Formats: sequence, structure tokens, C-alpha cells
Amino acid sequence: MFTTLEWLVILAAISPVVWLVVQPYLRGWSRADRRATHLLRDVLTPEQWHQVLWHGYLEVPSPSAQGRVYRVPRARGAFVQVIENGKAVMRLCVQPVERLPEADILLLHKLMIEANEEHYLQKANKYLCVDQPFSSIHPDE
Amino acid sequence: MLRVMSRRGDDRVTWDQQRALLGDPEAVAAIREAERIFAQERARGATAFRVSPGRSPERIEQFDATAEQIVMVPRVVGG
Repeated sequence: MFTTLEWLVILAAISPVVWLVVQPYLRGWSRADRRATHLLRDVLTPEQWHQVLWHGYLEVPSPSAQGRVYRVPRARGAFVQVIENGKAVMRLCVQPVERLPEADILLLHKLMIEANEEHYLQKANKYLCVDQPFSSIHPDE
Repeated sequence: MLRVMSRRGDDRVTWDQQRALLGDPEAVAAIREAERIFAQERARGATAFRVSPGRSPERIEQFDATAEQIVMVPRVVGG
């Protein structure tokens, strides 16, 4: 059995290693990220929240087209995939004019798609999914 | 509650509609402040959504003090 002193020595020995491992995550997890994540969690259902946590994206069913789903990634700068009947047919790029935390960007896509899909599609730059990964079919005016 | 997305996460203004209806000056002032921020953000091109649990979000043009939650997102462009 360890004495208190021995425990303190062990703790002192491993704490720099623990700090080195944890520090990058703590620095990236800013107050803004926490607030944005809190807002996202407030708005999503538990199932949607789990999808974001486990898969890193949120699937938003199209309000107008049956069989169409928008796969919105959590990662900043990634494309939104349009999936129709299980097949990726298009990628979309829409971004806010000001810098936002990742969770806010994900929520922004969800709100825009669900509330006004037509307007969202008008705003987006669209890239067809064909043999080549990205082929622009509608560059932004 | 009004939540405005920004680089800081989201800025929030809360109010108590019931107290405002009873004429509570603090609650009335909070609603006026939320209304002012709403108009300011709309002028900057932001879009507002009324968000309620279990219902699809609804885009709104006018401030709604009865809304449980209003989320405002900044102007977007094709990337």
C-alpha cells in the first residue's frame, strides 16, 4: 500500500504527462465553443445530438423532397452532402460572413434547410458528385 | 429568449413575457432591448428563426415576444 507521500510523488511524476495530453483539447475548447455547443444541444433532439457526437455530422431530411437528406458535417469548411435515395448527388458550400464556432455553423445549416430550403439552395454553391470528386455546376454569382 | 450567433458563441437576451404583460418595468425593458437587437441584426442581414422543441424552425421577419426562443444567424454566402 502506498503512503500519502508516495501518492504525492506519483501524482507529481505523471501530472506533466497528463497536462501534455489534455492541454491541446482544453485550448481548443474555448468559451465560444462551449456556448455554441450548448445552443446546438438545446435545439437538437437527443437522437440528433448522438448522431453529431458519434458520426460527426447531422442528417437533415429535406422538407420538400422525399428521399433527400442533407448531411451536414460538424467540421469547419467541409461540404454539405446532398444524398438522394442513399446516393450522394451533390455537395453544397454555404458559409456565414463572420467567423462562428463549429457548432453554430452546423445549427445554421439545419435551421436554414428546415425553415427555407429553397432559399438555402439559392445561396449555396453546388458541386455535382460525378466521376471527379468536385465539379462545379453552379458557381456563385 | 433571443440568441444571436457570433464569434463569441451566442449572445443572449432573456425576458419574462408574463411579467411584461403585468407591466413589470424590468421585463418590459428586456423585451425592448431584445427588439432593438433583433432590428439591428436584421439590418445587418441576419436571419431570424423561431425555435420550439419538437417543431420545425420557422423563419420570422418581425420580433415575436411570445416566442420561446429566437435564434439569429448572420448573413450567409455561397462558399
